[in-house]
Amino acid sequence: MSDKLKWLADSLNMNRRNFLKTTAVGAATTGLVTAKKDAEAFAYEPYPKDDELETVVTSCAHNCGSRHALIAHKKGDVIVRLSTDDGRFQKDGYFGKDTEEEPQLRGCLRGRSYRSRIYSQERLLYPMIRVGARGEGKFKRASWDEALDLVAGKMLDIKMKYGPTALLDQSYAGASWGVFHKSDQIAGLLGRFLGLFGCRTNSWSVPSYQGTVFSSTQTFGSIEDGNEDDAYAYSKLIIMWGWNPAYTFHGGNTFYYMRLAKQRGCKFVLIDPQYTDAASAYDAWWIPIRPNTDAAMLAGMAHYIFANNWQDQLFINKFVQGMDQGTMPEWGKGGESFKDYIMGFSDGIAKTPEWAAEICGVPAEDIKKLAKMYALTKPAALKASWAPGRNAYGEQYNRMAAALQAMTGNIGKLGGCAEGIGKGWHAEGSALPEDPYSNIYAQAIKSDRWAHCVLNFPNLKREEIGLWPRQDPTDGLPPLIKGIFWQGSNWFNQLTNINKEIKAINNLELVVCNDSTITPSGLYADVLLPVATHFERHDVALPWYKGHYYIHRPKVIEPMGESKTDWQIYTELAYRLGFGPVYNPRAKRDYFHYNDATDEEYLRYWWESKVMAHQHVEMSWDEFKHYGIYKFKMDKPHVAFEDQIKKGKPFKTPSGKIEILSTPLATTPDFAKTQFGYYIPPIPKWIEPWEWLGHQKAVKYPFHMITPHPRWRTHSIFNNIPWLRETYEQEITINASDAKKRGIKTGDTIEAWNDRGKIVLPAYVTERCMPGVVVVHEGSWLDLDENGVDRSGNPDFLTDDNPSPAGAFAYNTILVDFKKSDLDHRPGWDKLATSRSHVYRRDSDM
Amino acid sequence: MTEAKKLDKEQVKQAVKRRKQVTYAPVQPEEQLGFVHNNVDCIGCRACEIACKDKNGLAAGPRFRRVQYIEGGTYPEVYAYKVNMSCNHCAEPACLPTCPTGAIWKRADNGVVDIDSTLCIGCRRCEAACPFGAPQFDPSDGLVKKCNMCIDELEAGRKPYCVMACMMRVLDIGPIDEIRSGEYDTKAIGPGEETTRRVKGLANPDLTNPSIAFIPHSKGKVD
Ligand code: SF4
Ligand code: SF4
Ligand code: SF4
Repeated sequence: MSDKLKWLADSLNMNRRNFLKTTAVGAATTGLVTAKKDAEAFAYEPYPKDDELETVVTSCAHNCGSRHALIAHKKGDVIVRLSTDDGRFQKDGYFGKDTEEEPQLRGCLRGRSYRSRIYSQERLLYPMIRVGARGEGKFKRASWDEALDLVAGKMLDIKMKYGPTALLDQSYAGASWGVFHKSDQIAGLLGRFLGLFGCRTNSWSVPSYQGTVFSSTQTFGSIEDGNEDDAYAYSKLIIMWGWNPAYTFHGGNTFYYMRLAKQRGCKFVLIDPQYTDAASAYDAWWIPIRPNTDAAMLAGMAHYIFANNWQDQLFINKFVQGMDQGTMPEWGKGGESFKDYIMGFSDGIAKTPEWAAEICGVPAEDIKKLAKMYALTKPAALKASWAPGRNAYGEQYNRMAAALQAMTGNIGKLGGCAEGIGKGWHAEGSALPEDPYSNIYAQAIKSDRWAHCVLNFPNLKREEIGLWPRQDPTDGLPPLIKGIFWQGSNWFNQLTNINKEIKAINNLELVVCNDSTITPSGLYADVLLPVATHFERHDVALPWYKGHYYIHRPKVIEPMGESKTDWQIYTELAYRLGFGPVYNPRAKRDYFHYNDATDEEYLRYWWESKVMAHQHVEMSWDEFKHYGIYKFKMDKPHVAFEDQIKKGKPFKTPSGKIEILSTPLATTPDFAKTQFGYYIPPIPKWIEPWEWLGHQKAVKYPFHMITPHPRWRTHSIFNNIPWLRETYEQEITINASDAKKRGIKTGDTIEAWNDRGKIVLPAYVTERCMPGVVVVHEGSWLDLDENGVDRSGNPDFLTDDNPSPAGAFAYNTILVDFKKSDLDHRPGWDKLATSRSHVYRRDSDM
Repeated sequence: MTEAKKLDKEQVKQAVKRRKQVTYAPVQPEEQLGFVHNNVDCIGCRACEIACKDKNGLAAGPRFRRVQYIEGGTYPEVYAYKVNMSCNHCAEPACLPTCPTGAIWKRADNGVVDIDSTLCIGCRRCEAACPFGAPQFDPSDGLVKKCNMCIDELEAGRKPYCVMACMMRVLDIGPIDEIRSGEYDTKAIGPGEETTRRVKGLANPDLTNPSIAFIPHSKGKVD
């Protein structure tokens, strides 16, 4: 190689540690590259190069399940472009550092599109007050004073007239999963605000994974059932049950560690109605399964394992309650164990692979083959994902999967898996004030039952709305809901059975929406309060489910337009309502205008008193801010429940064991008085869902629709981004033979409907989807025509708002029919024309 | 499109002369850089595509990098893989000789093929000539644009945006000869994997000798 090319060879050598010196943030690129002149021509000059721009480390901030670094390159107060972690922004980092222990935290397509979201046409820049009908999208610009006075005045009115349950908290994690600016159902800023105000009904079930929360809590006594993502590299077999790590990212690098596992000889299996991109990338054995029948297939596998005596009996005897008669607790002796149910000892029906095959459509031979693989390959990870739990009786699938994880002894072992929820290593995750005011509520209901509650009040039974039990005289009293607050939440668009919500919302007297963009929910609000994005406020990011790192998230640019942070908005309202100092104890009265120093104080205190004090972190807050990313180095990959299995620490269940027979469920006298409302068996069972391909209703509606999470949006976030629109269409996936019977080709416009609604969208015809199943990804922004038909193709017009007993949303329990349509699909959002706020751009000196 | 562009006559003359010289005897770079993409391990996430759009400040429309989704088989025996391409910075670029103003040029040091925007008149001839769809017309300013391997990043001692974006580490650049011979150290190529110049459905590489290598899917192999 010629000397002249040495600079390039050096630059391509990823192990050069001295790279930091020459290409560090802000440093001039001398040294290696002195021989080179600047590039002579770009296709589109003037062209600001990264090294001429200011670099700020930050991250993504919404509820995708992961968290990746975004590196902002800015000029003045304008972000010119974003890149991602390239190994430089940590202690001892250098360009290209990307080791198995400290991998780069590379953002996905959504994260990489953030610049177009910050500067999008749909950005909310001013407070707005509705002037048209709800949903019509007519607003007028208002001053902050006017908007806040209106909200505060109505809040007082409503509380006085209707009492402490009248305001419904529908905060969700769409805006800000950080340690400080939190939008969240349980520990968010809205909950604290409405709780302290003394008027709050809470929404307790989590749309994405309540079945899984229930299962992990009953079985392990904890939702921290997840290994860290690097543990996947050690599996010999990974069963992706309804899991598509090529679409939904949990942990910074799960997908990448799985690639390492493949290179090390791991085999992969996918159980899913679709042959996903994950199946192809990991070369998985695809087992197509009828939706909602997963618990039956798992039962068939359990039967085959018991019948061949392949279960890990030593593990069972030591760690499990209720797997078989030998592990029944004293109080349950002689009752039904899991094995009794599976073998048919208790009900006379052996759950054989042949029995399961009838229900789930998977050939008995395949069930047996997989059961054998799973029982005899060690260690093996059965990753029981969330999606099959978003069903009628979805919790049974999750509980059943946990039973298999336990009977094969794959819990608490590197390369095994107890997920579930998949919440990994426990981080210090909250810089909020430490006091008892975070989650006060007068009543709490299942989140998807609000419309039912509003429409049927007061003729309601507590079990219909999943009322959370209380220890006071208000126990069992349905809430009288007269207002909704949204923070980081587009729930109107995202919960089930939207047509029912549309009916209910007109019974309300106040709907307030805090968001950084206009959303379909926003169209139904009375007041829109513009929120600064996470690029415009100070915070620290941590990964949501897995991953052991923190990313500093400074204010990269000033808040756009007149937007304010949620903290500022609620603090100001709290002052106007008389509880400002309690709500935000570190703030002064002028926090609405000057928040930077206070926010810094909260974060520094958190870092010093929590992170440094509890997590053996020696790096100071200032040093952390300097680097941007802190990556923990672990001695070995974190494995959930390792201490329980290796050191005999009890599980956090009543028995201290893995409860396949759940003590709380077995000892519940009256389910109507619990938040579940309806009976849940103490051991996992196959329970027939109220809609599925084996049901009578399939005669009228012969297709089962599933509604997975897309990768080009996070739920509904980013639906408006043109860059991402180029990568997908909101389409209905149809199996090729089904399409042929109806004369449908890819690109044809389809209408799909059931008794709850109708949607219009283009067809994607493929062999990769199982016959009898259609797929529509959740989250497109609703766009109704004059007949109430949704032209955007939002599947939640077809979903049922009837949740599973344990609280799982039944997003994937839908029967539909479809045909070719003359109606137009609207991929954009026609309502924008009326609802878009006047776009405000700052000047740049570029 | 704005009003007709005023070109510097002398500059065009030089550029056309340069083009004539290299039309039949393409520039032989000291070292040709090229891409490598693993068609199997790519999850098709398109982070690389979006990174490229952001880097180059493109609106919806032109897509320098394109991840193609390929699928086949009959239910339930199906397969799928991805083929990811931008500009291949070909050894014998088909676009270059078509340019009437000589705006397209190939760098002598690393073989990157670039378009000089000050000379481009947006006539779109190169777009038609390229067998891989690399040059694309941008209606926002009436110019044809394409991937220049993030030359500014290369010159700063880093790798292109798309490569640094790849979540699966299956896209990389390097000296194309070393990539092809297997000497080049890259995560894009897994243990025991071998690269190929050609995969099914793509234009014949003999046309332009593109500087790209693939880890093919078994169903994407050509004989
Ligand atoms: S996976 Fe989530 S955190 Fe990571 S870049 Fe994508 S959207 Fe952002
Ligand atoms: S090298 Fe740069 S310009 Fe070319 S495809 Fe990659 S990101 Fe785009
Ligand atoms: S970023 Fe990597 S894995 Fe994703 S589509 Fe591009 S090449 Fe494939």
